[in-house]
Amino acid sequence: MSSEPEIKVASYADGKSKIVIRPHEYDGIQEYDQTLPNWWLFIFYGAILFFPLCWLAYYQLGFMRPDEEVITQKMAQIEMAKAKDLQDMMAHLDNSVLNDKWAKDATVVANGRETYMANCTACHGQNLDAKMDLGNGQSVPLPGLSLVDGQWKYGSQPMDLFKLINLGTPPESAGNNGARMAPWGQQMAPIKIVELVSFIMSQNPKDFPDAHN
Amino acid sequence: MSTTTTITYDDRSVRRFMIASLCWGIIGMLVGVLAATQLSWWQMNGKFLETLTFGLFKADGLSYITFGRIRPLHTNAVIFAFVGNMAFAGIYYSTQRLCKVRTASDWLSGIHFWGWQAIILGAALSLPAGLTRGKEYAELIWPLNIAVVVIWVVFGVNFFWTLARRNERALYVSIWFYIATIVTIAMLYIVNHLSIPTSWVHSYPIFGGVQDGLVQWWYGHNAVAFFLTTPILGIMYYFIPKAADRPVYSYRLSIIHFWALVFIYIWAGPHHLLNTALPKWLQYLGMLFSLMLWAPSWAGMLNGLLTLRGAWDKLRTDPILKFFAAAVTFYGMATFEGPLLSIRAVNALSHYTDWTIGHVHSAALGWNGFMAAGMFYWLAPRLWNTKLWSKSLANMHFWIGLVGILLYVAAMWAAGIMQGLMLSETNPGGATLKYEFLETLQQIKIFYIFRSFGGALYLLGFLMCAVNIFMTARSGKASDVSVEVVVLNQDQKDNMRLGETFKSDPVTHIILALAFMILWIFLPAHADKAAFAVAVILVIRAVKLFKKNGTQWSDFFDRLIENYLPFTVLIFLAAAIGGAVQIIPSLLVNKAVNVEDRMQVVYTPLELCGRDLYVSEGCYNCHSQMIRTLVPDVMRYGPTENQGYSRLGESLFDHPYQWGSKRTGPDLAREGGAIAKDSKVLRIGKRDNLWHFNHFMNPRQTSPGSNMPPYPWLFDTKADLKELPKKIAVQTQLGVPWPAMTGDAIEQSARDQGMELAESLVKAGAYLPQKPNLSHDELRNQLADSKVVAMIAYIQKLGAYQEVEKPTSKEGRPLDPDSYRRLSSPSPKVEAK
Repeated sequence: MSSEPEIKVASYADGKSKIVIRPHEYDGIQEYDQTLPNWWLFIFYGAILFFPLCWLAYYQLGFMRPDEEVITQKMAQIEMAKAKDLQDMMAHLDNSVLNDKWAKDATVVANGRETYMANCTACHGQNLDAKMDLGNGQSVPLPGLSLVDGQWKYGSQPMDLFKLINLGTPPESAGNNGARMAPWGQQMAPIKIVELVSFIMSQNPKDFPDAHN
Repeated sequence: MSTTTTITYDDRSVRRFMIASLCWGIIGMLVGVLAATQLSWWQMNGKFLETLTFGLFKADGLSYITFGRIRPLHTNAVIFAFVGNMAFAGIYYSTQRLCKVRTASDWLSGIHFWGWQAIILGAALSLPAGLTRGKEYAELIWPLNIAVVVIWVVFGVNFFWTLARRNERALYVSIWFYIATIVTIAMLYIVNHLSIPTSWVHSYPIFGGVQDGLVQWWYGHNAVAFFLTTPILGIMYYFIPKAADRPVYSYRLSIIHFWALVFIYIWAGPHHLLNTALPKWLQYLGMLFSLMLWAPSWAGMLNGLLTLRGAWDKLRTDPILKFFAAAVTFYGMATFEGPLLSIRAVNALSHYTDWTIGHVHSAALGWNGFMAAGMFYWLAPRLWNTKLWSKSLANMHFWIGLVGILLYVAAMWAAGIMQGLMLSETNPGGATLKYEFLETLQQIKIFYIFRSFGGALYLLGFLMCAVNIFMTARSGKASDVSVEVVVLNQDQKDNMRLGETFKSDPVTHIILALAFMILWIFLPAHADKAAFAVAVILVIRAVKLFKKNGTQWSDFFDRLIENYLPFTVLIFLAAAIGGAVQIIPSLLVNKAVNVEDRMQVVYTPLELCGRDLYVSEGCYNCHSQMIRTLVPDVMRYGPTENQGYSRLGESLFDHPYQWGSKRTGPDLAREGGAIAKDSKVLRIGKRDNLWHFNHFMNPRQTSPGSNMPPYPWLFDTKADLKELPKKIAVQTQLGVPWPAMTGDAIEQSARDQGMELAESLVKAGAYLPQKPNLSHDELRNQLADSKVVAMIAYIQKLGAYQEVEKPTSKEGRPLDPDSYRRLSSPSPKVEAK
């Protein structure tokens, strides 16, 4: 292996942009020594310096708050926003509004159907009868209650449905074989629940006649 | 004076390891492609065999090839079998030549080779059978762990013995990296595999909860560092200058790069646990040291790429240099991405998503896979004394592999970033989340298909490599190279005493400055600042001394590398210190007596049985149990006040911890719930028992669009309740506060709980399609001790905690920097609700 003639043999390069070739070779492998590029040194020293700076900022100077504090405060704000959403909705929501304004709106019912199919079928079934069709004429029960059997265990008014979905199975109830519905209000905006209620009402014209004429 | 002698290198071992690497590589990648397709099509978990066998095999899923079991098989196969054997081939080849001596013992080389292959075979049989420790890349059961340690020691002895007999005064940089690999992997592997057996195939790790998590990622991250990076860097330093016929770019870069990597890498492990319940000081260390890794890693890339300077024209024609250049470029890309993903804010988005998967594959396929290919193509003609069979096939391999990697990585970036953004997107107003978990999964399914395709292309390229090497070997004849070397007398090497090593200026200054830096982290207020000042002064003094006596320092180093033992001791110290600083305080501080706020409720025997099944089925490969201190996490998985983010105490008794590293499915930390009304042990969580029953039978029935495999075998196999007394005894030994129970009482308790759960299932209408005619009691009795019931019992327990009220101490806790910080922090201002 031949090296360029202008490169001197030495152990270490002794200045910027100098190149030397080291005197020793290993199994034919030679090594240059060159000083390091400035941009590389900048990253190297910068990252090292960042460590004490960041540590000092958090632990000694008290900049930035502990994660637990931050998340607790943010969640409290979200809870307030949620409560306000609900309050705004409840301010003009009652049985007649649900009957007249929401349940008669085809778009609302369609949205409700979509939400139902995404979130509710696992327990209440594709056909709202709390059964799963096995395809061979047989069907097996699902965890939830049927929503098309004319029975309304927790109240039969539109607002009862809203409350039930929003807050889940009431704490004093033992649930259905122990199965309890989640308080969906935690995950769903009030409008989504209104849509769901409208959809369920649309599937039960006998029980909610006011929503259909 | 000097005598010469003729030696013959042991190239047979090199050939063996190389062939093993190729064979296991094909298997490992094939399993990887299968696992990838399973994420797109659930039928790939066994149902597809119905079609393949024309209906002879009938089931919705086959336990041996479900994702949860073969994902560990894939990772273990490519890490330890493919890259492991490849690294051994490279190490055995280059070490002999760099030391001008034949490997010390052919006998040990043989044990090393066959022992390693036997371990891999053991892994390939045990992992699909569901025998696992449940810790990523450390899944193998304890008898195999012991075998790994024994074989590793054999390898180490053989290697150091070879060094001791070398006919070359100084150690070349490749050897430095090999030494670092051997000593550090031994340390990492042993500590992370400490466990107490409960049977021949099962054990519990001695660490639990946060401690287990910390130890696991100290190991997991550094398995990447010291198994997939340092040995390959050593190989790079030997094979790139050889293949390019050019001198290495910069020696001083080698030195800085080497020591910085060995020292810094170890500290970065906690970046796998950012924003979790891991104490913040550890998170900060993990993040800040990861950032420091950027420059040293790029130094390796520079030294590799710039060595090619002057040989760029050869890239056009030489497939070997193509592979090397691309591999080093991928190394640079991945080592830039790593620090980026370690920033807490970036990690908040990327963690638990496919971005991480893309990151590791750009490194594994690009860096490891292409380095392996380049090395194989370079070695094969030399090992079989012939020409490479087909240069154009090698070129073809390169381009197909490259397209495969790019497809794979781009798909994972898109999937990871998209899902991360969707999961944190809220509805207008910010009070509720916009997407259900499943909706986000639907959006990224198309990328999963691209990923499988990219992976398959890469495998195709690798098959070409195997064919090419095979044909090359056939066209030539295995031959071992002989050379004449000058014998080096003992007095010309290895004559530095350990005391001399530690009395040198560079070593003393570094050790002292580090000691004060560590004191700065741990000492209470004011004393810490003093320690920091001392550390700074020491650094300044060291810089001054170096400026004055630079030659002395470089002479010291040049002498050090002529003495392999002191050199190895220093490497071990550099690598050990980070882990010691992070792990030992954590073991002392993060204990039940110190936990404030919340403490996990101990499982019942049946729940423990279910937990072991959860681990055995590899559920942790897709489900986390850790709600991070991030708004989207809390909103999605723990929205109510009594839920919230996961606390450190909530997993303290979990051996092994199950925080997870990827969410292909949703988090399960708060999936369980309170004890049902009128029941002693029966719990109902977010979803009821029947939901879980149906879900395990057919996930798509309860969750349309889910890609989770079905688990039909859980329904007709019995849970192993007889093992429970032994398991609980071991857990008690490890400090889990189980109530005192006799063996019979334990088994009875499990049976009673199983019976109660089965009764609730049957009453709710549970149904076994393959046994539709069972009466109520028959079905209940059938289910009571089935695996599915144990599993449901465990899931319904997840997140159960008790409040622990302790007076918050006014003083900081020694070894707990966070406790000092909390004292100085003003109480949070939460506006009134």
